[in-house]
Amino acid sequence: MKFCNLLNHFDYIGDRMNEKELVRKAQSGDFDAFAKLVDANKERIYSLARKMTGNDQDAEDILQETLLRAIDKIDQFRGDASFGTWLYTITLNLARAQFAKKKQTDLQPLEDYLPGTFVNGGHHHEGSALFDWKDPHKLMESEQLRDIIDKSISELPYKYREAFVLRFVEELSVKEVARLIQQSEASTKSRIFRARLAMRDKLSKVFENEYGGKVS
Amino acid sequence: MAGKCPDYINDLSDYLDGGVSPELCAEIEAHLGECRECRIMVDTLRQTVTLCRAGAEEPLPQALENKLKSLLRQRWEKKFSK
Ligand SMILES: [Zn+2]
Repeated sequence: MKFCNLLNHFDYIGDRMNEKELVRKAQSGDFDAFAKLVDANKERIYSLARKMTGNDQDAEDILQETLLRAIDKIDQFRGDASFGTWLYTITLNLARAQFAKKKQTDLQPLEDYLPGTFVNGGHHHEGSALFDWKDPHKLMESEQLRDIIDKSISELPYKYREAFVLRFVEELSVKEVARLIQQSEASTKSRIFRARLAMRDKLSKVFENEYGGKVS
Repeated sequence: MAGKCPDYINDLSDYLDGGVSPELCAEIEAHLGECRECRIMVDTLRQTVTLCRAGAEEPLPQALENKLKSLLRQRWEKKFSK
């Protein structure tokens, strides 16, 4: 059996009928149909797992476990959501379970990620001026930039990382993120924004440290 | 009427997502016009997301691809041979 690579991810998403047919076949024991469903989603799942865990080994484990669980539970898949979303949910649950075991730090209070100008009163504090990093692509190689970004994401406390990644890396709507992380839309929005502020602050510090002298 | 920077910080999220009323949008933009700090804040918050978005999907390592293939097949046969 060959893993079918002909199936283009985007064509695939546009073709739910085809997906339903594949699911039906897979549920009656057709491995090739299952493999096609996996092929259409595996890279997305792997990327998600990498962002969530911050390292390749954990991401591989989670991808593997996601697909094995999908086999075990394929009879339970009802087709309310797309197969991709279903896999996605399994991945998120696994990543969350992994982090639930570890001690999690929370984010600092919001003010800690804001320059003095934005904290009550609005007056400038010494050294709190905002660093304007313009376009970091002009300052460093893409690979170095990617490492900085991945590292910063992996340093966010898990619940913020999850919200941030789903909203901005995966580009899901607030509503979809809220459903996936099982929070109200209001608390999801607030988590996303706090994560965005924290990420901005982290990146800002890295860029300022490395390139502060060169940009003005 | 123009407010101070802290008055806007919580609205910036909605502003960046295009989800504020036309009135608030006009007020925020008036403030941005005269406040460099808030302009930088908005630009860098935007950049933060743009940077994270680019090139999100990565191909699977070939070794993983091969390992998965046989692992899934095994599990599948075990399940459906019952
Ligand atoms: Zn301002």
